Amino acid sequence: MQRRKRLFHSPMVSALILIVGALTVGPVVMLIIGSFSQGIGALGKFTTEKYVTAYSDPMLPQVLVNTVIFTLGCASFSTVLGGLIAYLSVRTDIPFKGLFRVLPVVPMMIPHVLFAAAWIVLLNPTNGMLNLFLRNLFGFLSGPFNIYSLGGMIFLEGMLDLPVTYLVISPAMYSFDTTLEEASRVCGASNLLTLRRITLPILKPAFLATFTLAIIRSLAAFAVPSMVGMPGRIHVLTTYVYRIISIGWAPDYGKAAAIGLIVLGVSIALIYVYRRLVSESSQYVTVTGKGYRPTVVELGRARYSLFAFCSLLFCFLVAIPLITLIYMSFLPYSMIPSARAVSLMSLRNWRTVLETPVVLRALGNSVFLALAGATLGILLSVFVAYIIVKVKSKGSAILEALTFLSFSFPGMIIGVGFMWFLVQTPLYATIWGLLIAYIATYIPYGVRPLRSAFMQIDYELEESARVFGASFLRALKDIVVPLIAPGVVSAWILMACMFIRELSVSVVLSRPGTEVLTVQIMKLANDGLWGQVAALGIIMIGVSSALVLVATLLRIPVAHVD
Amino acid sequence: MQGMVTVKNLSKTFISKKETVKALDDVTLTTPSNRILTLLGPSGCGKTTLLRCIAGLESPDAGEISIGDEVVWSKAKGISLPPERRGIGMVFQSYAIWPHMTVFGNVAYPLQIRRTPKQEIEERVRKVLDLVQLGGFQDRLATKLSGGQQQRVALARALVAEPKVILFDEPLSNLDAKLRESTRQELRDFLTELAISAIYVTHDQVEALTISDETAVMRGGVIIERGTPYDIYLRSDNPFVVDFIGRANFLEATITGYRDDGHAIVSCALGNIICIAPPDLAPGTKVTMYTRPESFEVVPPSSLTRENEFEGTIKSLLFAGEAYEAEVSVGGAVILAKLRFHIALEKGDKVRLCIDREWCRALDPRKEA
Repeated sequence: MQRRKRLFHSPMVSALILIVGALTVGPVVMLIIGSFSQGIGALGKFTTEKYVTAYSDPMLPQVLVNTVIFTLGCASFSTVLGGLIAYLSVRTDIPFKGLFRVLPVVPMMIPHVLFAAAWIVLLNPTNGMLNLFLRNLFGFLSGPFNIYSLGGMIFLEGMLDLPVTYLVISPAMYSFDTTLEEASRVCGASNLLTLRRITLPILKPAFLATFTLAIIRSLAAFAVPSMVGMPGRIHVLTTYVYRIISIGWAPDYGKAAAIGLIVLGVSIALIYVYRRLVSESSQYVTVTGKGYRPTVVELGRARYSLFAFCSLLFCFLVAIPLITLIYMSFLPYSMIPSARAVSLMSLRNWRTVLETPVVLRALGNSVFLALAGATLGILLSVFVAYIIVKVKSKGSAILEALTFLSFSFPGMIIGVGFMWFLVQTPLYATIWGLLIAYIATYIPYGVRPLRSAFMQIDYELEESARVFGASFLRALKDIVVPLIAPGVVSAWILMACMFIRELSVSVVLSRPGTEVLTVQIMKLANDGLWGQVAALGIIMIGVSSALVLVATLLRIPVAHVD
Repeated sequence: MQGMVTVKNLSKTFISKKETVKALDDVTLTTPSNRILTLLGPSGCGKTTLLRCIAGLESPDAGEISIGDEVVWSKAKGISLPPERRGIGMVFQSYAIWPHMTVFGNVAYPLQIRRTPKQEIEERVRKVLDLVQLGGFQDRLATKLSGGQQQRVALARALVAEPKVILFDEPLSNLDAKLRESTRQELRDFLTELAISAIYVTHDQVEALTISDETAVMRGGVIIERGTPYDIYLRSDNPFVVDFIGRANFLEATITGYRDDGHAIVSCALGNIICIAPPDLAPGTKVTMYTRPESFEVVPPSSLTRENEFEGTIKSLLFAGEAYEAEVSVGGAVILAKLRFHIALEKGDKVRLCIDREWCRALDPRKEA
């Protein structure tokens, strides 16, 4: 039996390593070769010229400084926010606790381009609505806020990274053994001393891991830096690379690759730091006792002010941007709500957007990419996750490392790598090229949740089916598939939504004919057509909400299995 | 008295979505100084809640708690000292060893908090680590130790600041059976040697009996019986206590009368038996009599008739190492008896057994089961 099982697995493992390897290592290799090549049409003609020109650019030092400030700023801001919300929602008696466990994840549904757009409409220095309002109120002549600044970028990107930091840090809060704190109290330490000497040091690795992941995320960020940073002439590495390939007559993909490689190198190094920190933090998980109700920290007088703070944060994250977009979509130009504003409201933006052929094509493309991409991506993820969890062999370790590696990939840089690859094939400028690049970049987001779904299925469930006479495939079909179905559906939703709002890969690879929604939104924003941005953005949110809704409805019968 | 804990009329109710649970129902208790008191009971009986209220980790609803001469919590007086100001030590079920500190760091912590001079801290920590046989482990990361060693770190940490009283919350329940036995012995030795006042919560009756000077049995938020382990095991007349601790044969019996020495005579499946019963029960009263399986003795065939002797048939025989566990059917009842293994016995044999009157007890019918 054991022999047959191995025989069945190994060709599958080899095939998967080949596919996943091509998807993850492939673009990196192409990026390296590309950086040493003379041009996109002259792949493999060796030259170091690209490095020389790229790294002697007088603009580069400033870009690097900006990038460091931006990533560290975002990571600090989002780690503090995520840590605070996680602590409040897990450990304290803050009102509406349950709500605060759901809300931090909601921004995952918000397309970053739209979030940036809404805040630009509110806080741009010339006619941002909030700025206008404050000027009227206090008589400022200009400002007072300028979103087109490093501070503005950190503010927006930091908030957008909140779901990530929250999701990494809250499990550490949950698994925290509260008797560790009680022991300290009994030993004579006050609440505050306990927080300082016991709680925070134990959570330190988890916080550092969160911080590292937030750096990786903000290093890869493109939507906010391009929409907010570029108008303010504040470039970070991703927008710098974008400039190289999009501005001017001759996009230089070699130079882009040469710069992209440092971003990629740093990301890969950081993802391994992250991994070390996560395993260190899990070492701090001690044997817990009989699960005595963990003590709830009473906030006392601070309870309502902290609640107000959290509510405000979620207004900033969800309510304010959404309302701004809806309001803006009916207006010809940005203005504060007034009788005149109401009289000027119309459906013109909506009509214009829906009558533009390129927009309709983008809509179709985005929906196709979401449906087909998520389906293929999840199909691949199911097999990969299964092998990683259930088969302990060298092959499965390689698969695990590959998918984990690509977790660090900045979409924009991988997009450049794919560019080098696709140009050599008939896939260039086709929707299929985009589809492959999407799956390659986002495969970890399919594999990781499915991996935990598989881990929850005990070996014995499957093995007992085998003992009672089911074949390997039969056991898979009868036992494993029904049990992981809910996990598969939710991973599919997640991936489809990510594809709908994908920007950084698309912005490199999208060509006339393969336009996608986010790139169109960015173009409209560049032209200052905020009303159309808002209308199209709401359509986009509608599409992803519809996906979630349909999938949720479909899930109902499946979820009944357990 | 230094380490005496006095609990007066303590009540605590937990309200969850579905139900309200009275974890403590008007509990009054005075613990002995320099001795070990165990709180024994099934899970949910309120023993841990009582311990946590004494520690200050949980707030009662009503009543008063004093440690030594100091009132640490009182509803009426509006006193509520936080745990750090109660001068106690505690060993947790999960040990609660801080994973980011070394053994030294863990044990030194209570002294560091009290701003003890560095020199003295080092000295005292070394002394207490030697006591728990962890000398030389100072610089190890505490979580890298074995379960038994972690348990001793937790004990050292509780001892080091010389608290008035040490609280133990099921400290041995995470150890495996073999280790639990030896650690129990060690713990008992430490505590007796140091003459420490300790309150020890456990649901394991063997642990409770072996480790404590006194045992209080709790059920449904109430202390239902208190006494030495010996009395609790052999002399209780409370049906719940008898059933909860150890194994017992329960037999229906009828009081036929009392002897001059105060012993009762009952008629039951074993015949007419002299036993200890609550006084003043009218003849004809139905009672439940219990015996412990260890109390039976085999009467050799040649010997004379003994007091409380009866004859039965061995229905099943299990060799359990230290003794035979025999099911003996007698007069329509089946009793479990632990019989010494050097007597050759076989299933189906007739056997004469006897039991000392001291170990036959009738439960008080007025105490509900």
